[in-house]
Amino acid sequence: MKDDEIYKDRRYRINELREKNEKMTSRERALKAINFEEPDRIPIDNWMVPEIKKRCMDYWGCENEEELLAFLGVDVRDNYGPSYVGQEFKKFDDGTVADLWGVRRKIVTYGKGTFHEGTFKEVAWSPLEHMTGVEEINAYEAWPTPDWWDYSKVKEECAYWHPEYFVLNKGDRLDRTAQLKPMMYLRGIQQTFIDLAVNPDIVECIRDHVVNYFLEYNPKVFEAGGDEIDMFMMGDDMGGQRGPLISVEMWRRYFRDAFRKYCDIAHKYGLKVMYHTCGDVYQLIPEFIENGLDCLQSLQPQATNMDIKRLKQKFGKDLSFQGGMDIQQVLPLGTPEDVRKMVKYAAENAKRGGGYIFGTAHNIQADTHIENVAALFEAYHEYGVY
Amino acid sequence: MSTLKKLSEYVEKGKSKEARALTQKLLGDNISADKIVHEGIIAGLDAIGEKFAAFAAFVPELMVAAIAAQESLEVLRPKMTQGTLHKTLGTVVIGTVEGDVHDVGKNIVAMMLTGGGFNVIDLGVDVPPAKFLKEVQYHEAEILALSSLYTPTRLAMRDIMEALKTEGLRNKIKVMVGGAPIDQAFCDLIGADGYAPDAPQAVKLARSLLA
Repeated sequence: MKDDEIYKDRRYRINELREKNEKMTSRERALKAINFEEPDRIPIDNWMVPEIKKRCMDYWGCENEEELLAFLGVDVRDNYGPSYVGQEFKKFDDGTVADLWGVRRKIVTYGKGTFHEGTFKEVAWSPLEHMTGVEEINAYEAWPTPDWWDYSKVKEECAYWHPEYFVLNKGDRLDRTAQLKPMMYLRGIQQTFIDLAVNPDIVECIRDHVVNYFLEYNPKVFEAGGDEIDMFMMGDDMGGQRGPLISVEMWRRYFRDAFRKYCDIAHKYGLKVMYHTCGDVYQLIPEFIENGLDCLQSLQPQATNMDIKRLKQKFGKDLSFQGGMDIQQVLPLGTPEDVRKMVKYAAENAKRGGGYIFGTAHNIQADTHIENVAALFEAYHEYGVY
Repeated sequence: MSTLKKLSEYVEKGKSKEARALTQKLLGDNISADKIVHEGIIAGLDAIGEKFAAFAAFVPELMVAAIAAQESLEVLRPKMTQGTLHKTLGTVVIGTVEGDVHDVGKNIVAMMLTGGGFNVIDLGVDVPPAKFLKEVQYHEAEILALSSLYTPTRLAMRDIMEALKTEGLRNKIKVMVGGAPIDQAFCDLIGADGYAPDAPQAVKLARSLLA
């Protein structure tokens, strides 16, 4: 940490609050929360785009990301799973690169020349998009196999954070345990929606390839991680801004069974399950609970029906939550006072009896001013205390 | 049940083949293209829009209904260019703003606007402000429809509004905005003419902007 006065002044408030409030390790704190017990303060998870991490390090005088997370009191440490040792991902002349599924991706830059400039890896080409039947899809030559991974370092990488921090096995955004997302990458989002409406055999075929891969891959990861993984995270985007993308009936028909299997495997290894989805999934939450989910993240407050107070009242006995901090309006467009109010509201309504982890609805985006990020973390430490 | 009502049902249920065939038959029976559009296709789209609003239909159902409407319109296209239909419903230039490559929401809106009888010029994704301005003038569009998914990229909408003013085009065109991080407050902030939270409402908004 840089110790110039300016950085010390900026760090003062968070350090002061942490010294006063914290009475246990991050791991103890998060374990209590997900087991519906009240820890010393609400645990903190952190999702930021790289541009914001950089801005935070510059602001608080941190030399690297590890220092930043430690200073901010972030309790969760991400584990990305095994190392990829399969064939080298193909690079193409148009600048795209194939991913695990053989989907070609390109780097897209937004906000060129502005303070909020950043990049995203977007799908540029979906290999199954124009295929017309299951035979062709079954014959696709790039279906991945769990043999493409080296699991030997998972335990060591998780243990690096123990006993201090809480280790969340979440995979990378592009190879995270899921069903609908890989299908959309492989087939194209639009074609996937059309398939869901009119091509059930194609949906089932692609889904089975995806699911069978993860059903084989996940036990290997959990076996390798031993006792060093604290929680498993999977993710799919089932919600839009104003409701689920598909009906509850369609979810039951295509996605329920594997959702349950994914949860069962993690539970067999003693791991609780966190599930990421964007958007409003209120109608699906009873299904998630019934099929084994422990923690829903990352609640998106601007989405209809995802108010944390209501969710806690309705489902808080059976389900824990992560998220609730708005990245669509409050963080990019609001004032530090708006940010503080948002944190206070979530803390007051979700902390009772444990079962809540602070977090943003998705990565804090590059259009967010540092003053609001600072207000967010200061408020976490101020209002999170039990 | 009247044949037009049947067509609206095919559109609503996303039965493309049936919608196409029935449209052909209706033309053969000398029903006017205008009547087929309004009482068959648009009626079907409105019906699925209402179900969508009531959470009785979702994105897959909306998408196949829009495709069925488009297929049906394809059959009518030769007749439509002979009439006044395009002019009465208007031209919409649509695109995802610069820096953003998300197009699913935008495509559904474009499909439903097309199905609803608008002349839609889809500029695709990552569209620079200058291109929007150029195409709006070239096509003499009545509506410019802008989409974004990310919060940082939505700021490009503000730049486009400014550019329209600078070029003296602002009072000649209606601007509608949409996408996950957009709401009425953001629409008001940048001075756009309307915001719609989903595709069916975007079609209604487009109609009302030109009413």
